[in-house]
Amino acid sequence: MRPYLLQGHERPITVIKYNYDGDLLFSASKDQIPCIWRVENGERLGTFHGHKGTVWDLDCDRFSKQLLTASADATVKLWNIQSGDLQHTFTHRGPVRGVAWSEDNKKFATISDPFVEHNAKITIFDTAELDGESDEDDLEPLLEIDVPKENSRRVQMTNISWTALNEHLLIAFDNGIVRLYNPTTGTIEEEIRVHDKKINRLQLNQSKSLFITSSADFTSKLYDTANLKHLKTYTTDRPVNDAVISETKDHILLGGGQEAMSVTTTSGKVGKFETRFFELVYETEFGSVKGHFGPINALAINPNGRNYASGAEDGYVRLHFFDKSYLDMKDPVPEAAEGTEELSTDDDDEDNQGNE
Amino acid sequence: MADLAAEAEELDGYFSDASLDPEPRYPNLKESFDTAIVVLNLPKVPEAKRGKLEKVVTKIISRLGNLAANEDTGFTGFSMPFNAEKASTEGFCIVEYETPEEAKNAISVLNGYKFDKNHSLIVSPYVRAQKLENLAEKEFVEPEQAPFEEKPNAMSWMEDSSQRDEYVIRQGKETIVSWFDGKVDPIVDYDGSREKEAGVNWCEYYCHWSPKGSYLATLVPAKGVILWSGSTYEKVGRFVASDVKTVLFSPQENYILTNNMRYDDEQAIKVYEIQTGKLLRTFALYPDNIEREEEVPPPPFQWSHDDSYLARMGKDLVSIYSTPSMRLLDKKSLLAEGIHEFQWSPKSNVLALWSPERNNAPAHVDLIEIPSRKKLRQKNLFNVSNCSMVWQNDGDYLAVKVTRHTKSKKTLYNNIELFRLNEAGIPVEMLDMKDAVMSLTWEPRGSRFAMIHAENPSSTKVDVSFYDMMKKSETMKKVGKKGALQKQTTLVPELNKIETLTGKQCNCLFWSPAGSTILMAGLGDSASGTLEFYDVDTKSLTIKEHYRANQVLWDPDGRSVTTCVSQPVEGGHFKFAMDNGYILWSFQGKQLYQQSFETFYQFEWRPRENLLSKPEIAKVRKELKKYEKQFEKADKDRARALYLEETKGKRQERKKIRDILSQLRELRREQRPRHIELLDGYDSDDDTNYVVREISIETILSTKEETV
Repeated sequence: MRPYLLQGHERPITVIKYNYDGDLLFSASKDQIPCIWRVENGERLGTFHGHKGTVWDLDCDRFSKQLLTASADATVKLWNIQSGDLQHTFTHRGPVRGVAWSEDNKKFATISDPFVEHNAKITIFDTAELDGESDEDDLEPLLEIDVPKENSRRVQMTNISWTALNEHLLIAFDNGIVRLYNPTTGTIEEEIRVHDKKINRLQLNQSKSLFITSSADFTSKLYDTANLKHLKTYTTDRPVNDAVISETKDHILLGGGQEAMSVTTTSGKVGKFETRFFELVYETEFGSVKGHFGPINALAINPNGRNYASGAEDGYVRLHFFDKSYLDMKDPVPEAAEGTEELSTDDDDEDNQGNE
Repeated sequence: MADLAAEAEELDGYFSDASLDPEPRYPNLKESFDTAIVVLNLPKVPEAKRGKLEKVVTKIISRLGNLAANEDTGFTGFSMPFNAEKASTEGFCIVEYETPEEAKNAISVLNGYKFDKNHSLIVSPYVRAQKLENLAEKEFVEPEQAPFEEKPNAMSWMEDSSQRDEYVIRQGKETIVSWFDGKVDPIVDYDGSREKEAGVNWCEYYCHWSPKGSYLATLVPAKGVILWSGSTYEKVGRFVASDVKTVLFSPQENYILTNNMRYDDEQAIKVYEIQTGKLLRTFALYPDNIEREEEVPPPPFQWSHDDSYLARMGKDLVSIYSTPSMRLLDKKSLLAEGIHEFQWSPKSNVLALWSPERNNAPAHVDLIEIPSRKKLRQKNLFNVSNCSMVWQNDGDYLAVKVTRHTKSKKTLYNNIELFRLNEAGIPVEMLDMKDAVMSLTWEPRGSRFAMIHAENPSSTKVDVSFYDMMKKSETMKKVGKKGALQKQTTLVPELNKIETLTGKQCNCLFWSPAGSTILMAGLGDSASGTLEFYDVDTKSLTIKEHYRANQVLWDPDGRSVTTCVSQPVEGGHFKFAMDNGYILWSFQGKQLYQQSFETFYQFEWRPRENLLSKPEIAKVRKELKKYEKQFEKADKDRARALYLEETKGKRQERKKIRDILSQLRELRREQRPRHIELLDGYDSDDDTNYVVREISIETILSTKEETV
């Protein structure tokens, strides 16, 4: 099926997210105006005006009522999704890279970049304390964690999420490490080195039992959140900007491509701007979907597994609906006992999707 | 006193008050014998012929430098002893030149010089002759015969039970030979592990297969060339050649030529015999009579098809050396005034060469038979600016692409001269092309050729045309007693066009070694890397792409083809290093295998000999059905084994992951009450939290009205 081409942004897409139920899709871009889309038909429902800088991240709560957007203008804004009204602005010391609702939708955490003399910071706010009236006076954060320089080099965080039951904050860094912070005391509980280069994104699955990192070192790694144990590595030949775990199948979707910087010097076909599909278990690529003409910056898969969206440097969001052959796809290794089954010929139906 | 006075008078004149000459003028004392040489193996002649021989020898030696003649002593710089007892000369002479350089030169030129039918001169420095004189004579002991060492079977790979092909890649520091049959992923045959254990690399530069695939030559610039062979890749030969850059095997694998491409090395090119490892001859990078220009690449050596001759172009001549003596054929080069290029025929000792217009003589293409030097055919051409010659690989046809200019020299156009060597008199046909022809290639073992042409040579869209040198002609013939007319197809030698494909994006053509299939590729920096697999017989076309591809290599039997993005070994940073690697395709254009590397230098298929003749191949084709069954069964078995092998580990892997996932799910289930608590008691699994609404959508697909 032809994908919906969501042309709502004027600049590179930074992040896209489905809501919990998978009927809404949010997108943010460097053009400062996040959009909300109806997944079913690709229609734009509305926009959120107010930011004065790139919107780096956004997060929708569990019940699709409130949206948080984090921007390079050093603010996080809280919106009413239904009305599109701005409810509150939380000012920060530096550009805000990431924002994440806690599991109870009452608190949220943000990460901000180092700015002038300030270090990078992790901040936790409690929205329950908002009076709902004024958005002028600033709310005191619940907790502020200072992330100091390491080896006299400023560290930058790239992604934040809460683990199950708000136990920890899971934060990815631009030097390839991932840390667990205690959200009440602000101490580092655990640190693991996942990549050698920048981690572009860290995404959890919906049940928060697994997470996948995407790195500039051309690989993506799957981890078990509970034990922080490395499970799988997916290798490509270009930097990976985003990766998602399918909720319904044992598949991983990877997006990325040649760095935006060097794109102009090469043809669109070379950058490998396809969404790549990997077998979660066997780490093998079994299909890809073409379409973008810039590196894919953001990927999201619908929790119901029926569609997925990709947002790229070219400013477009492509909303793809899986065709029947994909939905009917089975594990390439039959379940039957060894040596008794017949040979099955694998169909590479993914390849013909999205060829238009 | 009177005595004394008388004595003084007598001695007068002997004594002088004049001071003595402080530097008396003695002739320069030569302290070494550098300038002297000994010429051996001259004919032994009696007194009567002595004068004549002396004359002849003097004539030869004096051409090579000035003899150290001394008029005072009457020494001519040449002395040939005469044995009065035997009344004949001794068969040698001593020559002295003025300078050591002249002597050196004379040694290099005269050594091995064929003086007459029975006498080849042996020339050595006088110093060496002196040493030999003092040599103590020992009794001759017959050298012990070295025990027979069995060399590894160079053909072992051809006996592979599953008829696979081999290829070698150079990547990073690795040199790996792998098996490939187009059905399963390549299997490594040998990767130099034995040498690695010993702490050395078996290849440090490029490597090359010999023309029949018996040897793999690896280049180690510090040492030279090493040959490997047999099923375990044993070292079977080593050839010293420092800084070696390229090697050239002779087609029958008897000789190997190494080249270090150094301008300053008088022995830049070395020719070895492979079996014995003997150095046969060395050459300088450029022939003597050619002006050395850094921009002009040195003229390459070319072996004739049967290893009989090695030829190189010089100024106005072609030097042909015959093997194994490595001497000039008939002591003289083949004169060819103004020669620009020459090529051996791939299947006979015939040279094709062309020279441009010069001194009112038109440009011409000549076919010359060696060793008779008989001109088989000459074709004169006018208004020529360039020619390029392309042989069909059986030597049946020669195509000469002639780029011509109009009288004003402003516009260029092409025509193709086609020689039929397998017919009496070698008829030539001319094919006129209005377009610029970019590339022309012959179908291997066939009579067809393909070429890329376009009106404007710089245009991106080009046309590809196919021609056949043989025309199928159908004649009705009476057959049998009843005289029934029956169609008969015969081939007549007539050039005819098959078809033209327009609007292609390619700059190179690669015929499959099996014929019929051609790969039209756009290679290089400026091209897109389009690959079009075209079957000339069935007209089926498959379009694929390998971005940045700069090489296309068919395997020796046309089953699969490789496209590579490779970088030179020397040259530092490579712009497209990201794309480095190779893709293996089936001849129908299906991608079979792909590998990427950070640094990728080389890919080479192991060549194999065509052992079947044309009729034999035709016979096999006819009986293909018979073979098909047997191969299909083998394929099935192999695929089955492979499948079992592959899935074995995967099941375990999957089980492991599934266990982990179910553990995690279990953990989450335990945590669920607390999760619900966090959401203020909202349970997403509780159906009462959902509003169920039924919507029925009716879509009218089409309406139709019918009159009853």
